[in-house]
Amino acid sequence: MRTARAAALVLIALAATGPVLGQDSPLSIHGLGIPGRFESVRARATGGAFAAFDQLSALTEASTAGLTRITATAVGAHTVLNDDFGGVTGSRRTSRFPLFQVLGTLGHGVVMGGGFTTYLDRSYRVTIADTITLGGSGQAVTDRLSSDGGVTDVRFVLARRWGRLALGGGYHLLTGSARVAAVRIFTDTSTYRGVTESEEIAYHGAGYSASALLSLPHVSISGFWRTDTRLTSEVGGATVAVNDLPQTVGGAIRWQPAPDVTFAGSVLRRSWAVAADSNAYNTTSWSAGADVRLGGVPLRFGARGGDLPFGPGGHAPSELAVAVGSGLTLSQGRGVIDFALERLRRRSAGLTETGWTALVGLTLRP
Amino acid sequence: MSPRRLWRGVALGAVAALAALACVEDVTSPPSCPDYCPGGQIVTVESLLAGAIVRDSSFTGYRQAPEAFVMLAANQPGLESRPIFQTLPIATRLKIDTGSDTTTGPIVVDSARLTLIWLRRDTTTRTLRLELYRLPLGLDSTSTFAGLAPSFGAPLRVVNLDSLLALPTLHDSVTGDSILSRDSLRRVIVVSVKFDSAQAPFTPADSGKVAFGVRVTADSNATLVLGSVEAGEGPRIVWYNRVDSAGTLVSRAAQTRGLLFDSFVSNVAPVTLDSNLTIGGIPSTRTLLRFALPRNMRDSAQIIRATLLLVQAGPPPVLTGDTVFLQLSRLAGDVGAKSPLALDTIGARSPLFLPSGNDTVRVEVTTLLRYWQLDTTAAPAAFVRLIALDRSDTTRIDGLEGTTLTTLRFFSSRTPAFQPTLRVTYVPRIKFGAP
Repeated sequence: MRTARAAALVLIALAATGPVLGQDSPLSIHGLGIPGRFESVRARATGGAFAAFDQLSALTEASTAGLTRITATAVGAHTVLNDDFGGVTGSRRTSRFPLFQVLGTLGHGVVMGGGFTTYLDRSYRVTIADTITLGGSGQAVTDRLSSDGGVTDVRFVLARRWGRLALGGGYHLLTGSARVAAVRIFTDTSTYRGVTESEEIAYHGAGYSASALLSLPHVSISGFWRTDTRLTSEVGGATVAVNDLPQTVGGAIRWQPAPDVTFAGSVLRRSWAVAADSNAYNTTSWSAGADVRLGGVPLRFGARGGDLPFGPGGHAPSELAVAVGSGLTLSQGRGVIDFALERLRRRSAGLTETGWTALVGLTLRP
Repeated sequence: MSPRRLWRGVALGAVAALAALACVEDVTSPPSCPDYCPGGQIVTVESLLAGAIVRDSSFTGYRQAPEAFVMLAANQPGLESRPIFQTLPIATRLKIDTGSDTTTGPIVVDSARLTLIWLRRDTTTRTLRLELYRLPLGLDSTSTFAGLAPSFGAPLRVVNLDSLLALPTLHDSVTGDSILSRDSLRRVIVVSVKFDSAQAPFTPADSGKVAFGVRVTADSNATLVLGSVEAGEGPRIVWYNRVDSAGTLVSRAAQTRGLLFDSFVSNVAPVTLDSNLTIGGIPSTRTLLRFALPRNMRDSAQIIRATLLLVQAGPPPVLTGDTVFLQLSRLAGDVGAKSPLALDTIGARSPLFLPSGNDTVRVEVTTLLRYWQLDTTAAPAAFVRLIALDRSDTTRIDGLEGTTLTTLRFFSSRTPAFQPTLRVTYVPRIKFGAP
């Protein structure tokens, strides 16, 4: 009871800080931003390899089939990133809540639910010191360009299991906004006034998804597909941009050679090249991981890699991450706290980004 | 503590720490342009808008000499100006007894003192002499320089102001003249001129009313600015008198009086208005400028600097040594010559300058233009006035209209080659939203 109370307090503390989207990177400046991740903490601890089989992740719908109780889960992440622009370095840290969802049963083996995840992150802040020529003389200026926000994927799912086969479908409402601002400050404030301009960009879009999960003895196979229509960007009610969104196909396999040892791997292909005229690339991502029980305590680890869709330099930025994590079951399974620690490295033209992400997930099954 | 409880404690502590950090955000990246700089950056545009001033006109008669806040005295080649003023009457009979006896006797004037407030002392003036003349009563706004000229014959008194200022005690024991006070901050000097019994211009038939004329001479730059009644700084006269009580003179308190009228007359003919823009002088002349910013600039650009360029159309019609500046005051409503000025501090003014030949005068009008961007119901028009420098404290440059004879003439929009022009530096609307 005390543990359940503590878990409830932690959930309230997480919720009180508000839903903040995504993570920040200079790569968010390009194209539509950085795609979010749909994994729960326990799937993230395996590099995302288990996401297609994880009821708490938002990658597939079929994985939720077989759920017997109402389940709510939330993820909190704290990231410390270091950017290296050919010797010029900077560090950033952010805290986000990239996933929340609630699932329940309708009877007859049908599971219904919904939640939100980060679909695209558009957060960045850049400070540029420069000298411009005005009135024939140089004027020192400092520009601050920032964007805070992104696109959220609000999904509604239905899934059902028929023996070894589970099928699921989902409707995805893409919504969200980014507060963009540009500020210019002149060193000579007596002659030149500063400039401040900001807008709220609203995003709209939709998508559909379907997935299947085949569970065989010791082996499970998952396949999933998703298509998103177009992302409409509006400023003050006027459409300023319409971008095509990608189709996603992927598959995953899980192998359980022993009751306490499980391995999984997945591959994902997304056609992001349609989203922008330049500096946009189709991406392929992979992940592999394991979940091992040691004395009843889970030990999860894994790695993931692949491409990011938007970046300069004529080729897609690459991403590689390794992760490790564990979990704690509370109050006879009514509460679960998962932990993960991820080491990340991204590379793009002229940029190497490294960082750590600490994740905490809280799951309640009342 | 069991390992399981310890494990739970650590887990809950980690969650709490993450929650505490949840609002911390520091996402500034070092710039690496152009690869990692956002699109839609700030672009600064400089534009010379030759047609931004339209329907510009000049109007005169705003402040006449009798209404001016100062009385201007000048004596320069081709330009002479003389302050004139008339004092209020005094009681020519006073009670002999200080008790209940109401019997009165005629006053006998022993002497008089005229106090003048000397403003804007010009340090380039050398050996400045103040000449006081007695003028015929009946001064009014129709009095002219030519009409009063015959009265400027023999002066009642001549006071060498520079000599008086040079005295250690600021008091001339021979003439009785004094410098009562000097405010170096405002450059205000209070001068007291004494008239002895022979000089005191007391005439019982006039009830003590007396009209004075002032003329200045100097070795160089003969100018003098006196305070006027309109600014609460007009001359005052003190009559020192006694009462004649059957041949015995009894002392009575001095009678102090202000002015019935003050003004100044000059030999400068009023400037005739032409197709150019005229500003300044007495009666004061204003120029009405109407601003027509391009719609895209007015509606969606951010103006970071705007400068109004006015090109002088030849030598000034009237030129004194006054330091002046141009002041733009926005209109509460544009109804032409009688447009009321808005009662706020949103305006513009040029740097101080000494008018000369064909200079271009620049006025920073950024505040005005940004205001008109914000308040699109306001009339985008302003009066331009010529102000002579005055100081109310050490920091503010201040002044009032109609306090200088200097008159300037600028090219108008009717002369396209030299018309009033706006140089605007602005940032067009940034196109956010496009990837």
